Amino acid sequence: MDKPNWNQFRLYVITAEANHPGKTLADVMEQTLIGGAHIVQLRNKTGSRAEVLEQAKALRLLTRKYNVPLIINDYPDIVLETDADGVHLGQDDLPIAEARRLLGPDRIIGISTHNIGQALAAERDGADYIGVGPVFPTDTKPGRAAVSTSYVAEAARSISIPFVAIGGITPANVDEVLAAGAKRICSVSAIVGSPDPAATCRAFLQRIEAAEGKEAGRQKQLTVNGRAEQTNARTIEELVRQLGQQNKRLVVELDGVIVQRALWAETELRSGAAVELVQFVGGG
Amino acid sequence: MERDPFVIAGHTLKSRFLFGTGRFPSPAVLQMALEESGAQVITFAVRRVNLESVEDDSVLQHVEDRQTFYLPNTSGASTAAEAVRIARLAREAGLGKWIKVEISGDARTLLPDPIETLRATEQLAGEGFTVLPYTSDDPILCKRLEEAGAAAVMPGGSPIGTGLGLLNPYNLGLIVEQARVPVIIDAGIGSAKDAAQAMELGADGILANTPIAKAQDPVMMARAFRLAIEAGRLSRLAGRIPKKKYASASSDWAGSLFEAAAGMGGKQ
Repeated sequence: MDKPNWNQFRLYVITAEANHPGKTLADVMEQTLIGGAHIVQLRNKTGSRAEVLEQAKALRLLTRKYNVPLIINDYPDIVLETDADGVHLGQDDLPIAEARRLLGPDRIIGISTHNIGQALAAERDGADYIGVGPVFPTDTKPGRAAVSTSYVAEAARSISIPFVAIGGITPANVDEVLAAGAKRICSVSAIVGSPDPAATCRAFLQRIEAAEGKEAGRQKQLTVNGRAEQTNARTIEELVRQLGQQNKRLVVELDGVIVQRALWAETELRSGAAVELVQFVGGG
Repeated sequence: MERDPFVIAGHTLKSRFLFGTGRFPSPAVLQMALEESGAQVITFAVRRVNLESVEDDSVLQHVEDRQTFYLPNTSGASTAAEAVRIARLAREAGLGKWIKVEISGDARTLLPDPIETLRATEQLAGEGFTVLPYTSDDPILCKRLEEAGAAAVMPGGSPIGTGLGLLNPYNLGLIVEQARVPVIIDAGIGSAKDAAQAMELGADGILANTPIAKAQDPVMMARAFRLAIEAGRLSRLAGRIPKKKYASASSDWAGSLFEAAAGMGGKQ
């Protein structure tokens, strides 16, 4: 697989055999790969280790064929044994540092998080990506309270490693999750439980790409303090926040004209604008 | 010095020392030196923020909450238009309308461009700024700046940061003689002695930065400047003696042990 680009993934699919009675795991997962899934995770909380190992071997062959990373839920040893690409951990599983020690620097380590504190801790501890959810109530994890899209928005603001929104996401509600700032979507039952997993994957990808297109349409080219910046900030207020400069005593100039602080929120930016952010420094 | 007020644009200042805030070894040293200096006017520069840092790294956070007049400079400008732009940015920060016009005409000497300085002074005074132009030590130019609306004129003693002291005391003396606005010697001062000399020449104040910030002990040097400026001012007001070519004794000859004895000459 194309390892350096694994983190460009958009659609992450997880196995759930109970959702497709009468169809084999390999058949259903191949359908998701045909539909365009970018990452596959093997998740089997009920089977024996031997069963999980067998499934991992089968999915390893399949994912190699489609050049897609394979992640194993919970079993670092099976990752090594099948040469899978990484492991996915829960909050109560072994610590990230321990998984890293077992797997070395090159395997992918992901972890589920349910609040921003866990997310920041995961980032600090060296996770390669995090799961953010469950966004909506889900039968896959009954009893766990949904975190809603507000946590997605929080993660989008504060987390710099890839994060994937998960939990009760379907083609019908995915737009809401994308609008909150998610760029990567994970779905379990909506995909593998669908009569046509390939078509469902395509439906998800179409929504994700549409959101990306909208995002790209909002992007503006600015010159900020002489430097080219790309931004989707609508106003000066938003730009100052995005640049993390809101705690400084700034004076802002837009195309050579000073914009008073009281007007930042209503002063819109257009592509091509030149913005200067200045402050006082020591001088004689 | 209650009977000798120092007034700029209607504001009476407690200190004749205008304090530059650049190039101090640390914010803590800057604060301590400022404390020791007794200065009430502080200068600083306007620069682009560092977008790589989100912390408040402005010099203001170290000097706020003092009873202070803020005198931003237009350093970096090489034309009147650039200086005007910087002045407007500085005013927008909401710290008053004082501005030190500083327009460098040459990168090596940083000497002020007289034509652009005059233009900027005229325009900014017209826009309601309190303009203190840094200027060359030319008496005619200083007169013209005053006429253009400068609230004080600030001739340099020597180029910025050189510490060469007062290279043309004669010109500075002429400027002081004719000025109807305060004369502040800005730039080139090297030590407390130069500051005292400038004050004795009749300057109304001193603006210094590098000689404090780059002294081995900036805090002690700030105190030295405070004392020197006060001493120089008092010396000026007290009126120095005229210079003479030959000695004149400090005590009368009369009553000397070696005076010819009274009565011997029979003159009385």
